[in-house]
Amino acid sequence: MDTNLKFERSDLSANNIQLRVFGDVTIHTSTRLREQLKPLYTTKTQRIHVQLDHVDFMDSSGIATLVEGLQWSRLTGGKFILSGLKENVRDIFSLAKLDTVFDIEDTSQT
Amino acid sequence: MAVTVNQRGDNIGNPERAMPGKYQRGKSCRISLQLDSNSDCVEVLRSIVSVMTARAGMDELRSNRVAVGVDELFANIAAHAYGGKPGRIEVDACLEERGETRFLIFDFRDYAKVCWRGDIEKIANQPLDVEHLCPGGLGLRLIHSVSDNCEHHELEDGNRWQLIFNVCNGEKDGHES
Repeated sequence: MDTNLKFERSDLSANNIQLRVFGDVTIHTSTRLREQLKPLYTTKTQRIHVQLDHVDFMDSSGIATLVEGLQWSRLTGGKFILSGLKENVRDIFSLAKLDTVFDIEDTSQT
Repeated sequence: MAVTVNQRGDNIGNPERAMPGKYQRGKSCRISLQLDSNSDCVEVLRSIVSVMTARAGMDELRSNRVAVGVDELFANIAAHAYGGKPGRIEVDACLEERGETRFLIFDFRDYAKVCWRGDIEKIANQPLDVEHLCPGGLGLRLIHSVSDNCEHHELEDGNRWQLIFNVCNGEKDGHES
């Protein structure tokens, strides 16, 4: 169990941001993910790509944090993409019936 | 962080050492804990889940589902029943045989005011409203999805929650272990 969430942000262009997440996204760490994502929810950003290939565990607070990104994309017409989901994490999205609601790419490649 | 681990049944000892052991039919396997409703304790709880699911012979995916259910329930009690304030949560995990079927059961006991009188089944079966999704509601949905049964009982001095996982038959969505 990794309680120390880390991030690697790549600004591919002014309006195309890639954020790779390292660690477990839980009620105790999701605030940090939100802190990283929230400033990106502007009309200037067109594409946010969250890479989850280094996330082994995610609970409902982590999913809810990502739902904010989904809501942002629906409001602004921006793209909010998740990728690299491990089986455990994808399973939780599926159980929450959110796997078809999010734009989920199979690989972590952009 | 106050954690008390009390084991009854066979000698599990250190959870890490107990990992390779598998549940033996007819042999009791039970772990009891007293936890503070403090974030640090979740790590301990997760270790206990690992021990119990390994003993039950569950694969990684199903073990993760149990971890999610237990994690969500602990978080709900800490955040909503105790309102984020310190409180005691007692957890009793056991593998139980009922006829030919084995169950992994997690009992949660808290001493907070009763703040839940809803119907989990009803909440879980409501259409998902992504635009107004709240973390608490999503947590209950997940608890309902991963467990075979989730019950809440009001007590005079708190609450009792019971999460039951059917070890033998896979999850409700047909996943086979």
